[in-house]
Amino acid sequence: MHIRHPLHFALKALPLAITAVLLPSQVLADEATEERIAQLEQQVRDLQKQQTASLTDSFTFNGFMSGAYVTADNNSGYLGTSTSADFSEESKLGFQATFSISDQTQAVMQLMMKGENDWDVEAEWAYVSHRFNNGVQIRGGKLRVPLFMYSDYLDVGYAQPFARPPEEVYGAVPFTTYIGGDVSYDVEFDDSTLTIQAFGGESEEDNTDIKNIIGANVMWTDETWTLRAVYGQTTLDGSISRTIKIPSQDPSSGLPIEIDAQLTLLTLDNEKATFSGVGASYDNGQFLAITEWTRSEVDGKYTDVDSGYVTLGYRINAFTPYITAAYYESQDDNERVVVDAQSALIAAIFNGQRTAYSAGLRWDALDNLALKFDVTYANDFGDTSGGFQSNILQQYDDVTVYTVKFDVVF
Amino acid sequence: MKNILSIIALSLAVAMSAEAAVVVIGAPGASDISASEAKKAFLGKGASSATVYELEEGNPARSEFHSKVTGKSDSQLKAFWSKQVFTGKGNPPATLSSASAMKSTIAANPNAIGYIDEADLDDTVKVILKP
Repeated sequence: MHIRHPLHFALKALPLAITAVLLPSQVLADEATEERIAQLEQQVRDLQKQQTASLTDSFTFNGFMSGAYVTADNNSGYLGTSTSADFSEESKLGFQATFSISDQTQAVMQLMMKGENDWDVEAEWAYVSHRFNNGVQIRGGKLRVPLFMYSDYLDVGYAQPFARPPEEVYGAVPFTTYIGGDVSYDVEFDDSTLTIQAFGGESEEDNTDIKNIIGANVMWTDETWTLRAVYGQTTLDGSISRTIKIPSQDPSSGLPIEIDAQLTLLTLDNEKATFSGVGASYDNGQFLAITEWTRSEVDGKYTDVDSGYVTLGYRINAFTPYITAAYYESQDDNERVVVDAQSALIAAIFNGQRTAYSAGLRWDALDNLALKFDVTYANDFGDTSGGFQSNILQQYDDVTVYTVKFDVVF
Repeated sequence: MKNILSIIALSLAVAMSAEAAVVVIGAPGASDISASEAKKAFLGKGASSATVYELEEGNPARSEFHSKVTGKSDSQLKAFWSKQVFTGKGNPPATLSSASAMKSTIAANPNAIGYIDEADLDDTVKVILKP
């Protein structure tokens, strides 16, 4: 008779018991090892990344792109639009290369291709900058004229809440870059920064030399509030001409046609021009308010303009609905007395006023992609063209512009 | 109505307490920094000599850190750095893929600062700011 000894049971159970005891620690050990391996792998990846980074450390490449569909309810010419769909007016592609010559010195080149310029490649920024240890930074080369709050990143739609900076203000000065230099100094307070910048140089637009540009701006920000003031002046020398469509007849068929004629309207003989502006913005992460007001004055008959806008926006997760009210008004209409056909044309082109209202939505659809929808209605042209050369016959007294746009940074 | 309100209040309280606290870390020998110093360092302002590391986009600790320290949402931060980059004023900090990568990087460099979730803390690094 075989009696099962308790020990027998125990012996049989022993391997099982051992396994049972060992298993959790074995599993734990495996987990620990795996975690350790994962950590090491991660470190290797990070080291590799750092190593690759150190090889390309001196160079950084970035880019941005905007694609826009813009159409209007008439052909008054607001923002260069018409009733036909326009995909190129506000579409653009930009590449930027930054080369760090040293920790404090770098060269920056930004190449732009814009639909409105037939996608010709142009450098908007091309400069060398150096930062001294005392916080002073100098830059030289081709730079943006820092007249407005959004001047520095005028083409980087992604960095702007609205579909476009209000044309009433941003369209009032016909040049955006200059060749020259600037000096800036950051004063660091406990919780805010004051930046003082002085700039000088020259530019050119069509047939006008924009000489002796000199100016300064101050900006204070604590990243919620931003306050800014700017003053600049220049000497304008050259002529202002416009292409005018003259109604005519086709000599062979006798049908009515239009002839483009280049007409010199004004000559500028070293006329002094001044620009002053103030701006403020508030952004607490949810509520957004931006305002700018500017005044530009040019000696002689060229338009003196006051302009301004207020934008309010409110972020709801990825959506930022906004509204804008803006105005543009020539201030020196009485200097353009109408005595003959030529002076009537000058008055029709350089007198202008309008008020514009925009309602729009920014949708941060992806990490680096914003979609924007905007409807802008402009009216109050008074007895002017509204400031649109294509409306000098005052055919239209208001216009609505619809925009669908995407902005990407990469 | 009162019930709904208390449920909302309760779930808010739960959501807030469930939110892990993010902490700014430095190497063991590093000294504490103020909230405004941290804000400036992570926005690339001032003459700070610290090397700053961020966690990658999409990491919850990153969003929490910025909502507390720089006051910027993910998209605002992206817009902020596009402004800096495309005006040649600065480049965003290097990013690291995980809390453990952050710890090993910070521990190895006495000049570096970063942030992690408090739950990932160990004694290889020192908390220099609790925002």
